Amino acid sequence: MDLSEELAKAVTEGDEERAEQVTRRALDQGMGAAELLQKGAVAGIYEAGRRWQEGEYFLPDIVLATEAYGVALERLEPLLASKGAKPRGRVVIGSVEGDAHDLGKNIVVALLRCAGYDVTDLGVDVTAGGFVEAARDTVADVVGLGAYMTTTMRNMQGIIEAFGDAGLRDSVKVVVGGAAVTAEYAGRIGADGFAKNAAEAVELVDRLLGVA
Amino acid sequence: MGAMTRLLRGTLYGKGLRVGGLDGYERVIASIFGRPDRVPVIVQPYTYAMAMHGLGSNVFFREPEPFINASWNMATYFGFDFWSPVFDFYNIEAEALGQRLIWRERSEPDVDTREPLLASPEDLLSLKAPVAGKAGRMPFVLESYRRYMDVMGLPPICYCCSPFTLAVLIRGYVNVLRDMRRNPGFLHRLLEFLSMDVVVPWIDKMVEVTNAGIVAMSDAWASAPNVTTDMVREFCLPYVHKIIRATNSATRTVLDGGSWGEKDVADPREILDIKMEMMVPGNAFKPLRPFYVLVWNEDYEAVGIQTARAYTDEKKVCLLLNVRPDILESGPADVIVDAVRKLIREGAGDGRFFMLVNLVPLGAPAENVHTVVAAVRQYGGYPIRDLDAAFRPPAVMPFEEWRRKDGLQV
Repeated sequence: MDLSEELAKAVTEGDEERAEQVTRRALDQGMGAAELLQKGAVAGIYEAGRRWQEGEYFLPDIVLATEAYGVALERLEPLLASKGAKPRGRVVIGSVEGDAHDLGKNIVVALLRCAGYDVTDLGVDVTAGGFVEAARDTVADVVGLGAYMTTTMRNMQGIIEAFGDAGLRDSVKVVVGGAAVTAEYAGRIGADGFAKNAAEAVELVDRLLGVA
Repeated sequence: MGAMTRLLRGTLYGKGLRVGGLDGYERVIASIFGRPDRVPVIVQPYTYAMAMHGLGSNVFFREPEPFINASWNMATYFGFDFWSPVFDFYNIEAEALGQRLIWRERSEPDVDTREPLLASPEDLLSLKAPVAGKAGRMPFVLESYRRYMDVMGLPPICYCCSPFTLAVLIRGYVNVLRDMRRNPGFLHRLLEFLSMDVVVPWIDKMVEVTNAGIVAMSDAWASAPNVTTDMVREFCLPYVHKIIRATNSATRTVLDGGSWGEKDVADPREILDIKMEMMVPGNAFKPLRPFYVLVWNEDYEAVGIQTARAYTDEKKVCLLLNVRPDILESGPADVIVDAVRKLIREGAGDGRFFMLVNLVPLGAPAENVHTVVAAVRQYGGYPIRDLDAAFRPPAVMPFEEWRRKDGLQV
C-alpha cells in the first residue's frame, strides 16, 4: 500500500493521528501535495461518504473521518495555496448567534473543501455582523447559516436582512441548514437555498454557482 | 385534594374505577395506567412563556418566581392539562461543574462547545464534584420547584441530565467518540464520576426538597444517529441503571428519556427497545415500571404512528407523542386540527396515550396554540369517535386581558 492509499485508509477509518503521521511522512518523502490530497485525503473521505450512504457507516464514523480529513487538509492546504490552485468558489459558513452546535456544519465544511471550495469557517455563535464582515472580506459567493435550535433559527432572518442592509444581498447567495430548519422556513425568510444534509449542501452550492 | 389522593384517583380511573371527573393531573396519571376520560395534552412552557411576558433569558432562566409564574400563566391560559417546570435542564450540572455557557437575551442558554471543560483526559483529575443544590444555578432549580409546589399543590417532575449526555457536554462530542475508540477506560471513569458524584447527589437533593414521584434524566446525545445502539448499551445504559437503582423507590420513579432516532436505524424497534431499557428498573415496585415511551415527530412521521402504538401495546406501556412544533408557528388552523386528529386516530387507541406540546416556537400565534388544545378536547374523548366532525374554533380571550384578570404577577 503506498502512502496516498495509506492516508485514504486513515481518513476512511477516522484515525486522525495516523492521517497526520502519514501526511507528514509522505510530504517528507517528496510526494506532491495535490496528489496526496486527491488520491489520499479526498479518496478517503469519499469512501467514508459512500459507506455512509450505503448504511455501512453511522454518523460517528463519518464525523471521525471528517476530523481525519481535516487534519490532513490542514497540512496540505498551505502547500496548495502557494501554488495558486483556483478554488471552485468561496464560501463563508457558521452557526448563528446563540447556537453552539457545530456537528453538521463541520461535516458540510469538510465536504465543501473536499469538493474544491475555499471555505471560511466562522465557527459557532456568529453574529449577523460577523457573517457580513467575513463575506465582504473574503468576497464570498455563498454564505451558509446553520441553526440547530428553533430559538436560534429565528436569527437567520435578521442575518439575511443584514446582507441587504450592507448592499451585499445581490452578490452573495445565502443558504441555510441545521436540525431545526425546514425548506418551508428557508423559503419564508428569503434564503436562496436549503440543504437537509452535508451532501445536499455541496450539491446546492454547486447548483447556485452554476458549477455542477 | 392532596397530591397522593389525586395520584390515587388518577390511577384508579385509568384502571377502570371511573368515579367522578378528572382534573388535568389526574387525567395524565389515568392515561399512564389505562384509559382517562379523554386524551390529555401537556406542555413545556419554556421560551414561549418567557416571550409572552417580555422576559429576557437572564431573568427567566435565573429567577424562580418569574420563571414559574410565567410558565403557569402560559399553561393555564391555554388550558393545558398539565405542565412541567422546564428550564434548560441539560445545562445545570455542566454549569455547576464549571462548563461555560453562552447566554443570549431571547434564547435559552447553551453549552459553549468551543471550550469543553475537559479538553484532555488529564482534566478529569482536577474536576471537583459540585456541592449538590449549591453550585451554579442549582439553587435556582430548587427554589423554582418550591415555587411550583406552592402554585400547583403538587410535587414537580424533577429534571436532570443523564451522565452520557453530560459527558458529551463537558468533553465535546468528537472527543467522546475518540475516547470510545482509543481510551474507553477513561470514558468509563468519567461516566462513573458523573453518575455517582454528580447526578446521584443532585437527584437526592431535588428529591429531598420536593419529594418528587418522578425524576427524569434527559439523554438527547444517546440518540441515533449521534451514536449507535451498541454505543448506548456500552456507555449509557449501565450508568443509567446504576443511577436508577441508587435513587428510585416504591414511590419514586427515576427514568432516562428524551432520546430519539427510530427513523435512523433499519429496525425502529432497536431504538424503542433502548427507550424501554432506559426506564427499567425505573421504580422499585415492579407494577409501576416503566412509565411511557416518547416518540418524537421526526421519527413517528417516518416510521408511522402505528408502529409506535403497536410497540407500546405489546409492552403494555403508555405512548407519548409530541405535536410537531413548526405547525404551531406556520398554521393554519386546519393543518393543526388535521395533525391532532391524526395523532388521536392512530395513537390514542383505548388509553395509555397522551400528547406533548414540547416546544411552542417564539413566533407562533396564540390562536394556533389554542387550536391544539381545543382540537384535543373536541376529538380526544374516549371512546374515540366523530373525528370527521367539523372543528369548532374556541372563543379566546386575549392573553393580556386574561393575565390582568386571572394571571399570576410576573
